[in-house]
Amino acid sequence: MHSTVVRAQNVFGFFTTVAFAVAALIAFTDLITPRTPKANISMSKVEVVRGRPNYYSTKKEEYAVLRFNLNADFSSLMNWNTKQLFVYVSASWPNSTSSEHTNEAVIWDTIITSPSADHLQNIGPAAMKKLKKSAEGKTIDPSRGKINLKNQKAKYQITAPGGRLAEKNDVVLKVHYNIQPWVGVLTWTPQIEFGKWKMMKGGVSKLFNFPALKVKKAADTTSR
Amino acid sequence: MLSALQNPRQAAAQVLNFVLILSTAFMMWKGLSVLADSPSPIVVVLSGSMEPAFQRGDLLFLWGRNIFEETKVGEIVVYNVKGKDIPIVHRVVRKFGVGDEAKLLTKGDNNLADDTELYARGQDYLERKDIVGSVVAYIPFVGYVTIMLSEHPWLKTVMLGIMGLVVVLQRE
Repeated sequence: MHSTVVRAQNVFGFFTTVAFAVAALIAFTDLITPRTPKANISMSKVEVVRGRPNYYSTKKEEYAVLRFNLNADFSSLMNWNTKQLFVYVSASWPNSTSSEHTNEAVIWDTIITSPSADHLQNIGPAAMKKLKKSAEGKTIDPSRGKINLKNQKAKYQITAPGGRLAEKNDVVLKVHYNIQPWVGVLTWTPQIEFGKWKMMKGGVSKLFNFPALKVKKAADTTSR
Repeated sequence: MLSALQNPRQAAAQVLNFVLILSTAFMMWKGLSVLADSPSPIVVVLSGSMEPAFQRGDLLFLWGRNIFEETKVGEIVVYNVKGKDIPIVHRVVRKFGVGDEAKLLTKGDNNLADDTELYARGQDYLERKDIVGSVVAYIPFVGYVTIMLSEHPWLKTVMLGIMGLVVVLQRE
């Protein structure tokens, strides 16, 4: 009994040591892989409308409905330790009291999986088939990191606590990314240059203003 | 077994050894907790709401200190809803204001809607104090054993029994 238990313990111990060492090595290779992300974003249409947070609510709030153009090249971020790339566009605006952009809300996001992580996506069978076919035989597909959107509608209509959003000035759209590794450290858009990881080129739109509340057509106002 | 009973000094040493192992593990956990400034610096993912990034059983390392900047939009945080004891791992999608009173809204990547429905009644936003920590590192699958243990409680008894036996019966 003695020797069997000890042997099993040794085998298991050795296995975990090796597994963790290999995982650490894989995680380390992220650091020596260059990252040169580029993005170009511009606002194409903005309006502010009144609406309710959900169907049953009686509370009326102001919502900003945005459209934007995005042209990004994140292909250098797709390496063998990339499980998914999460790209998101946020709108930020300052408070009335300061010029700092203290409010930020995500208006659009997308999940870009590495081909080896496709099967984990929560999409319909037809979309899954198409997705898998797009990178057949490849485990890394840098071309997926290229994004080209024209006049893209925002996924999320944003509001602010208090429900007032119209006529806010100096709004800016920003592109961000978050790399989810297979193992290791999660990384976001870097604030400083870090070794081979360059800062994102561009990725910030020109300042714009939320317009005044859009007046609804006569037909809409008949509803409560 | 018999030899351990015949020699009380050795039995005591072995019990002490077992207690030492347990307390070492406990102190390491608490030490990590202090270092990361988070009540629970390592968590296991329990739901699929962040798929495909995190699956059930994946291990997440949390960091609770805001040394360089505040918790911001895009970060994946673990939070506790008021009055409930289930930690939730989701991404911050909105932030209004700065400091401890900043209002944060979260959403799971795999969920269609944001977390307003998950929060307590009358709670529209999270605050920094609701957040246990931000996810900084990831190891897949390793935590699955804890899910097994919580779903099949008898495994816990069996495992503790085996561990105890091995430590007590081991000679050196």
